[in-house]
Amino acid sequence: MSEAYSVHYLSNGIRLLFLATKKFKTISLGLFIHRDLKPETVALNALLPSVLEQGCRLYPDYLTLQRHLENLYGSELSTDIIKSGERQIIAFGLESAHDRFLGENGRLLKESLSLLGSVVSDPLLENGVFREDYIRQEKNQLVKDIKALLNDKAAYAMERCLSEMCADEKFGVYKLGRIEDYKDIDARMLYSYYRELLSESPIDLYIIGDLDEAEVIETAEKAFTISRSSNIAELAPASTNRFISDIRTIEEEMTVNQAKMVLGYRTYTDFDDSLHCPLLVYSGVLGGFPHSKLFMKVREEASLAYYIHTRLERHKGLMVIAAGINPVDHDNARKIIDEQLNDMVEGRISKTELDNTRRGLINSLLSRQDSPSQLISFHLDGMVGNKVYTFEELISGIESVSIEDIQEIAGRIKLDTAYLLKPREGEDVIYED
Amino acid sequence: MKTNYRLIENKALQESVYHYRINPGMDLYILPRAGYQKKYAIFSTRFGSIDNSFRVEPENEITALPDGVAHFLEHKLFEDEQGNVFDRFAALGASANAFTSFTQTTYLFSCTANFEQNLTELLNFVQDPYFTEETVSKEQGIIGQEIRMYEDHPHWRVFFNLLESLYREHPVRNDIAGTVESISGITPDLLYRCYNTFYHPSNMAVFLVGDLEPDRVAALVEENLSARNYKQMGAIVRYYPEEPEAIMKEKTSQELVVSEPIFYLGFKDNVINKLTGRDLMHRELLMELILDTLFGTSEMLYNDLYKADLIDEGFGFEYAAESTYGYTMIGGETKDPERLHEQIIKEIKKAQKNGISEEQFERHRRKILGSYIRKFDSLEFIANNFLAYKFRDTDLFELPGVLNEVKREEALALIGENLNPDRHAVSLILPLTDG
Repeated sequence: MSEAYSVHYLSNGIRLLFLATKKFKTISLGLFIHRDLKPETVALNALLPSVLEQGCRLYPDYLTLQRHLENLYGSELSTDIIKSGERQIIAFGLESAHDRFLGENGRLLKESLSLLGSVVSDPLLENGVFREDYIRQEKNQLVKDIKALLNDKAAYAMERCLSEMCADEKFGVYKLGRIEDYKDIDARMLYSYYRELLSESPIDLYIIGDLDEAEVIETAEKAFTISRSSNIAELAPASTNRFISDIRTIEEEMTVNQAKMVLGYRTYTDFDDSLHCPLLVYSGVLGGFPHSKLFMKVREEASLAYYIHTRLERHKGLMVIAAGINPVDHDNARKIIDEQLNDMVEGRISKTELDNTRRGLINSLLSRQDSPSQLISFHLDGMVGNKVYTFEELISGIESVSIEDIQEIAGRIKLDTAYLLKPREGEDVIYED
Repeated sequence: MKTNYRLIENKALQESVYHYRINPGMDLYILPRAGYQKKYAIFSTRFGSIDNSFRVEPENEITALPDGVAHFLEHKLFEDEQGNVFDRFAALGASANAFTSFTQTTYLFSCTANFEQNLTELLNFVQDPYFTEETVSKEQGIIGQEIRMYEDHPHWRVFFNLLESLYREHPVRNDIAGTVESISGITPDLLYRCYNTFYHPSNMAVFLVGDLEPDRVAALVEENLSARNYKQMGAIVRYYPEEPEAIMKEKTSQELVVSEPIFYLGFKDNVINKLTGRDLMHRELLMELILDTLFGTSEMLYNDLYKADLIDEGFGFEYAAESTYGYTMIGGETKDPERLHEQIIKEIKKAQKNGISEEQFERHRRKILGSYIRKFDSLEFIANNFLAYKFRDTDLFELPGVLNEVKREEALALIGENLNPDRHAVSLILPLTDG
């Protein structure tokens, strides 16, 4: 049932994970460079993919690169910065339509892999370093991105809660860093950092599609000719055992209509913990689904929220409860939430709640196998957590979780930080024509 | 039971859809997709937020609705005498949801087990309305929260503020969920009146996709409907107000907590309500091609604006082609809305004079084709778009053929006709100085 990758190492040590499947109409490539998340290098890492995406030696500016992609039938190049536990991952994706729907006879694998190779490893240089104008421009865009977090109030509240909660841990670093982290970066500095990063970071290259394995390996070998160190950095797993003495309470005011409540909890459970599956079920019973306790009690019965759900950060062992509420309902909502957490501790979980959660979790796991990007992110999670679970393992693990297992998890979970973004007193949003 | 189908094929995509006509007049489409774990089902009605005034033949009485009824009804169908519908899907391991747009309401589930039971559940809950004073009044509270949440959403606000400026009369100018005030006028009677009209099977369609046996599933749908003894219903006559050619107002602005101003510019399409079916798709693809050629990432303007720090990666455009309205929107976040405004208008005037090159036209045509094929990895994309096009009397599978037909000369004419700089509106969100 499960989709199995075949794993190869290119001669320079890049790990190639190939999944041959006729299921999709696409060829999907994903390249991930793993870095330690820390304040000194967070901005350098965040800036790199944006600069590389502006142009490479063969396609020296953004316009030329985009035209080339259009001629490859609208192949889509994307870059991203992912925070996963205490790692910062630099991500590149390239998705193309498969040749067999275009009458193009196998050209697109070669073209798209060599384009990805060019963007990542054959950059445009001027006087031996990156172009200063590209750096200036992308620094400016990233500073704007950091400020724009404010525009999505739910995401802003989530980030504020987690950064306060982990303020003196690596996890507390925002994935794009702070505005002042960009100030001193110039082309020379970024280029020398880039050389070091390509040489010594763990790099995973995923390829999914209806393709021939030997051809994939040969093409990948040609597309990534960079030489790399034989000493690839070992990255430590995120620490999940921070002790808390008091609950922190943070309230912020803003001119908004709806209040956003985010409660941050520690689960003291590592990604490879034997109670990994009970943690998934715990979070699911509490707030992962429309049938979950929080949704039923806070939204359906008490009408106190439009949305309310839990979310796990499994690498760092954190769980958050997020809700959009009417500010006057805060204390009531909080009281009902605490009652639900207490029910979890006491094991007051009905057979229906448990069964429905198991089925819901299994459904979403199986569904991930129908999307190339989900297949990649599922496996990448395992790489980060130093334990690649198979779909079968998780499914049978979820099926065998008992109420006692969930209570054991419930006994570990501690509230760390309660964050509330609330409307200013006596103000309403102003409309004008 | 013998069920007859018509096969809709697309050779290039290597896909086939089985089309069944189910008594009393509902369309059922099934696309088998071997190898997928997931099965996805949607049940849609041609009832959206713009359907605010209607009658059913042969009656003469016209029903006028307050804003937000279609969306409200969608919420309410999830509750019936046995309780909460989500619970029943959850027990079957499925994930259920629904959404309401300007023109349709869609109920859906996806699952990896118990497909036939889930499908029965979907058919049953959508066909079993249950509205009481009590449940209606509770829902007013929940939807009130939803409306307030969207009021804090800058990109949602800039979009509706622009529609309000483009349209004077057409209900597309109103928020899909209505307002706290408009939904306060909703009663169980009103919901039943809408339900009995728009949820008659002849106004609905089902699309199923996944590793399925078409005839077996079709028989299940047919039995479910036949047991309900539907009577034929007269045609639904929908009334939309006369929309003048002129826009409502040139500029609208609102202050919200945002990091940078948001600027959208829009045009109202005045020809669209004279087109249907394939012609509508033809116009839609031409507009997509034009907008991508004028404002896309591979062209000069985008790159100049980006270098001048007037836009970021979120800059984009949209063209909507429905049978009673249509609009073009261009914009994004910018530090200097005035300059961005000037540059966009200048580009449109330039294109009206110089046209677009053969090379540009072919390159963008190729891009649209490749992107279309890529989207077929997603079962949700296929189902949702297939029915949306069917509701406009055309077929998603015809898209490559229509794309192949569009001509550069038509594009030039359309830039002049549909992007008239003298008739555009702008919508602005300005940063509120907080604190």
